[in-house]
Amino acid sequence: MNIPEQPISQKVLKYLLTILIVAASIWSASGLEVTPERFFEAPSKIWILISAMFPLDLSSEAIERIVPKVGESLFIAWAGTVIGALFSFPISFLAANNVTFNLLNRFTKQVLNIIRAFPELILAFVFLPITGLGPLTGTLAVGIHSIGTLGKLSSEVIEGIDDGPLEAIKASGGSKISELLFGVIPQVMPTVVSYWLYRFEINLRASAVLGVVGAGGVGAELINQLRFRDFPRAGTVLVVTIAMVLIVDTISAAIRKRIIKGRDIKV
Amino acid sequence: MIEFKNVSVTYPGGVKALDNVSLKIEKGDFLIIVGMSGAGKSTLLRTVNNLVKPTNGEVLVDSKNVTNASKKELKEIRSDVGMIFQTFNLVNRSSVLKNVLTGRLSQVSSIRSILGLWPQEDKQIAFEALNKVEILEKAYVRGSNLSGGQQQRVGIARALAQKPKVMLADEPVASLDPITSRVVMKYLKEINQELGITTIVNLHFLDLAKEFGERLIGLKEGKLVYDGKVGDVSDQDFENIYGRAIKASDMLGNDD
Amino acid sequence: MMINIPKKPKPSLLSVLGYPFAFLFSIYSFFQIGFNLEDFRRNLQNRRLVTDPLFDPKWEWAVENATAALIETIQIAILASILGCFIALPLSFYASKATNQTTITYYIYKSFLNFIRTIPDLFWAMLFTVAVGLGPFAGVLALIMFSMAIMGKLLSETIDSIDLGPLEAAKSSGAKHNQAVFSSALPQILPNFTAYFLYIFELCIRASVILGLVGAGGVGRIIETQRIFLRFDRISPIIVLILFAVIAIEQFSVWLRRKIL
Repeated sequence: MNIPEQPISQKVLKYLLTILIVAASIWSASGLEVTPERFFEAPSKIWILISAMFPLDLSSEAIERIVPKVGESLFIAWAGTVIGALFSFPISFLAANNVTFNLLNRFTKQVLNIIRAFPELILAFVFLPITGLGPLTGTLAVGIHSIGTLGKLSSEVIEGIDDGPLEAIKASGGSKISELLFGVIPQVMPTVVSYWLYRFEINLRASAVLGVVGAGGVGAELINQLRFRDFPRAGTVLVVTIAMVLIVDTISAAIRKRIIKGRDIKV
Repeated sequence: MIEFKNVSVTYPGGVKALDNVSLKIEKGDFLIIVGMSGAGKSTLLRTVNNLVKPTNGEVLVDSKNVTNASKKELKEIRSDVGMIFQTFNLVNRSSVLKNVLTGRLSQVSSIRSILGLWPQEDKQIAFEALNKVEILEKAYVRGSNLSGGQQQRVGIARALAQKPKVMLADEPVASLDPITSRVVMKYLKEINQELGITTIVNLHFLDLAKEFGERLIGLKEGKLVYDGKVGDVSDQDFENIYGRAIKASDMLGNDD
Repeated sequence: MMINIPKKPKPSLLSVLGYPFAFLFSIYSFFQIGFNLEDFRRNLQNRRLVTDPLFDPKWEWAVENATAALIETIQIAILASILGCFIALPLSFYASKATNQTTITYYIYKSFLNFIRTIPDLFWAMLFTVAVGLGPFAGVLALIMFSMAIMGKLLSETIDSIDLGPLEAAKSSGAKHNQAVFSSALPQILPNFTAYFLYIFELCIRASVILGLVGAGGVGRIIETQRIFLRFDRISPIIVLILFAVIAIEQFSVWLRRKIL
């Protein structure tokens, strides 16, 4: 009986990959002085920390300090997403290879890549001396990073449209602008808007963190409480933040689903 | 009404799609073009509204030179030429009404159309067009929620909304079942007879061509090889146009 | 001509409330952030504090002092993404209705993954530095959470939409549930898993850069200390080095992706 052998290249590839992953892990672990025992000890240490947070500090003093900060994170995330959406939309057309000529769209894509490469925190860094401590810096950082990611994603949506409807508009005497407005935009809007909402969810997390460098939001609160070992209050910060993120995530996910699905009109 | 003067089209890459085609079509004619895939039917149709520009020769529509028209003239000519496509080309996410209204784009100011403030008369024209293809009740339904046949009817309504002098149909029923295909062809015939719109239809189903056609044009490898009344066409003529024996796939058939 | 024009459907609640709300909320947010033109103009004069040193990079210093930290950053990302993703692999099967019919455990795993997602990576880092001490180990743990969260969501959604056919076939031939999942469901999602893993690895590299800010290891610490002294002349070459590393890794993963998928 002639049992076929698994093709050599596949076998070799799997073998190599496994070795690569194991080797990389070992190299990293030893470089960082991370041993398996540390992993075993970790859960109990985490538990100690978590239990120190309860009962939560729900005093009015705590609430008055924390809630506005959490709200600030919300505003930063929203405003940053608005900036990102507004600016990335026209830019994404420039970056789409079926809208503009080759040199321009490749250049725009590269610019977007560079903007995207900088995490929001690094951007916040750079802006801090200019725009000072406070939420404005955070908003700029989040906003500009969002322009990068949304720009790339939106341009991909634009590149993936069906150009049949565009031909129909052209054939009936419509201008190139008509093609754009009535052919391209109706096709891309649902997906693009759902990307905006998803970005908002992510930006919320980013803006919570920005407070660590003083760019507004609840991050500063958390790190201060932890440094001063005020664990109950830190716990409150966490709980309130988690609550807000959960609420926003749920609402946003529902809206996104509805946008993509569209309304069913029964006739 | 439509005149092809020695029209040749050679695509970049060397493919000769049309070879010296000369043809005169009178106002109100109902013309069916048959031929194998790649014979040049789609290309011929697209020279009428200059979606494809002939490499040689010219096309005149209503005495106006389409081939050498300026941008502005071209837009005017195109607004008088309605076109329906094999793949319907509706904007799926938009409502039927919005799709039909895009046929009025050349007549409505940009700002009003962008803001969705279509003038009442244009809306009325759209509704009447939808009524003509008996799909008015679905005006606010999304394009993608319709069946293929319904989508093509919306395509016809969109072209009708232009109040065109010419109707071009590029394989309009190729992806539809026999019953729906005949419904669509019936609408095209009615529109031609009631409104006097000069109609050119590309088909590759020979039985359909015989059923609905009046004048028949045959294209083979880009050349005009047949031009006559549908009643005079024989199976031998069809075989000449196709360059081979007729196959079952050349017939639409009936729903069994 | 009398024709029956259909009634225009009422706009949905979402569009009636949604647009005005979004617009008003945006204005409110910008207001809350307090965009003050005067302050902005005044502070803009400070920009030279940043831009002057920014364009005077101290390469030697950067290479001498930051390379070790950069390597540490990459190691954190590698270890955390590998561990996090591989832990998430079985978890995702439990968090998907397709492969986990037991409603209770499904909800437990799904909620667990959702919960992990709500906490930003830096928050995890802060918590872990307090629990297990400052240093890269805290960073690794934080990014493990980060990787698990993302892989968990992506993978469980993929599993939700797999072809159940092979699974049913395996079970009907007598295989136990876990065997069936392993032989019929797992192979289907492996390409996705690999793609997600590479994506998460790239995300981890970027996240790892920042971890140092809170003392969880990596090059972030150096950036932070230099920033406090406004030594942007030292920061800019570091950032360029990071950019190179990120781009190099991105190209590597693109190459890898093409090879295996």
